[in-house]
Amino acid sequence: MDINWVNLTEQLVNGITVGSFYALIALGYTMVYGVLKMINFAHSEVFMIGSYSGLFVLNILTNSGLYEKAPLLVVIITFLAGVLGSSIIGVLLERLAYRPLRRAARLAPLISAIGASIFLQELIRLLPDMGKAITGISIGGKFIFSENARTSVVKVLTSFGGAYPKAYPGVLNIGGFMLGDVYIAYGRVIVVIIAILIMALLFSLVKYTRFGKAMRAVSEDKDSAALMGINVDKVISRTFLIGSAMAGVAGVLVGLYYIQIKTNMGFTPGIKAFTAAVLGGIGNIPGAMLGAYILGLAEVIGVQFLPAVYKDVVAFSLLVLTLIFKPTGILGGKESGRRI
Amino acid sequence: MGNESTTSKRQILSKSNLRYAITFIFAIALATLPMLNFPQTSYWVRVVGYTGLYIILGLGLNVVVGFAGLLDLGYVAFYAIGAYTFALLAGGHFDIHLSFWLIIPIAGLLASLAGILLGLPVLKMRGDYLAIVTLGFGEIIRLLATNLTGFTNGSQGLYNLDKPSLFGFILKSGTNFYYLIFVLVLIIFFVVNRLDRSRIGRAWIAIREDEDVAQMMGVNTTFYKLLAFAIGALIGGLGGSVFAAWQGSIFPDNFNLFVSINVLCLIIIGGMGSIPGVIIGSFALIALPDILREFATYRLLIFGLLLVIMMIARPEGFIPSRRRQLELHSKSNGDQTISSDIPGEEA
Repeated sequence: MDINWVNLTEQLVNGITVGSFYALIALGYTMVYGVLKMINFAHSEVFMIGSYSGLFVLNILTNSGLYEKAPLLVVIITFLAGVLGSSIIGVLLERLAYRPLRRAARLAPLISAIGASIFLQELIRLLPDMGKAITGISIGGKFIFSENARTSVVKVLTSFGGAYPKAYPGVLNIGGFMLGDVYIAYGRVIVVIIAILIMALLFSLVKYTRFGKAMRAVSEDKDSAALMGINVDKVISRTFLIGSAMAGVAGVLVGLYYIQIKTNMGFTPGIKAFTAAVLGGIGNIPGAMLGAYILGLAEVIGVQFLPAVYKDVVAFSLLVLTLIFKPTGILGGKESGRRI
Repeated sequence: MGNESTTSKRQILSKSNLRYAITFIFAIALATLPMLNFPQTSYWVRVVGYTGLYIILGLGLNVVVGFAGLLDLGYVAFYAIGAYTFALLAGGHFDIHLSFWLIIPIAGLLASLAGILLGLPVLKMRGDYLAIVTLGFGEIIRLLATNLTGFTNGSQGLYNLDKPSLFGFILKSGTNFYYLIFVLVLIIFFVVNRLDRSRIGRAWIAIREDEDVAQMMGVNTTFYKLLAFAIGALIGGLGGSVFAAWQGSIFPDNFNLFVSINVLCLIIIGGMGSIPGVIIGSFALIALPDILREFATYRLLIFGLLLVIMMIARPEGFIPSRRRQLELHSKSNGDQTISSDIPGEEA
């Protein structure tokens, strides 16, 4: 068979880039699964909101002219904004939608998560409409809010959310270099480096800090952990915080890399990231990273032989095959196998 | 003890009589709806007919999710299979023009075959995994419908489908389809009701409550789970065929994830595992938003919020199945309540 090696190598680089996105999102799934034994279906919306809040701040800073003066600072602030937006939503989600259901039947938190996912997606999509409706309330033909307040509220909300796709400025579009015959964009290198740095940070946090130890204890056995004096609620809340923060980083990275974002952008990466988490062994942090890169590479290799539209079919088939032949995943231990 | 149980038995009897009476009145009211002479009768007939279609889907998914406790998020796949079966066998695309009444069993059979095919690999999974795999399956079917352009005509869709005929009478108006759907709902309602109270229904409940225990008690869990998938899929396939025949055209976008979510929501709101709940849920979720057009924009937003609130405040739904209510509440209140609740359930 005639294989175009240059093309294949470029595709492999692409696979590693995509794998990095999956890995950052998959970590949130796997950590939450570790401590709560539930799939946080709304995690893909946490990721989306990270992307939207990053863009909101980035636009403000660009309009104020700061971007020309200090582009690096602006990009860093954008990441922080994305992380902040995601973390707030993630922690609120746990507090309002999952914590009341911690002792409920197994299906209840899952359905609550689906509800939260729909709600958050629609919330961002309808923000301008809602702003218009609320500020447009009139009593006896007189508006409660002034004309000025109405237009500015709607303007701010429109620049945050809305039904139409939004465009990120092409910050990462800064050229590339040739490695032999293979062209590698700097943007890709940056994405992979940031992802790996963040994952290294997370890994050392879980492995070497007191909090990491507490988290591992909670994920092993909640009740025993509580008996050992660990504040389980706090650990769960912080786990959501960290998982959501990483989704926020992924959100901003995806926005910067793919330029365009929309309210349902979280759906496909969300399912893929979940697939990655299962592939690596759900609840297992290095497993999620490994699974994400394997999935990213499998997708690009798959589309070498199949039309590109079947990329998602490849990913889902991989998920089903994993669940049939090794439901514990590649690095999953006995514990995760028993939970299925 | 004996005295107590006879009084409660009498109470339940009268309660079930009341329930039959309400069902009967409701059915009569719906049957006469198209004959009334409202200014907007045809609009109402369309809305209620559409709701009926969702009742069919709800009853089907209720077998899988409510009875057997298998969370299926890709139910739209079977709906799509049924619709495409009809569209390909009764339209100009391949120039095949089979009778609607012949296609209906074929569509049901194909859909339940797909249900079994999906069921086989996912049998060992529980809850969350099942949800994700079925969700993926639903998406794969939609992707295939969009991309297999030679077979399904892609996103252009299939149109000019044949209208069903009954002894030479061609069903084409909204009212004709209203009655077709009405009769189908009655049949499926009856079948599902009988299933719920049969040995099969009890086996499903046993699996839902505790699969390991059910298996130890001699329930063939593999068989009954596959059966739930097959029956649920069959009903979904029927619904899909009727939908395609009614619309006269189908597009891949008719079969997006939100159909699955809508059907699941109506089951949950009505009360999981409860058959009257499906009907109430369909009216609440499908007919109401259609009537309250102004809120149509915020429909999904409210759904999402409602699902979360419902799970926290009333996880058993508006008209809960009694067994399910017991299950949900005994788990949240600790073990003591189980022993005190069971006699009440059996009386």
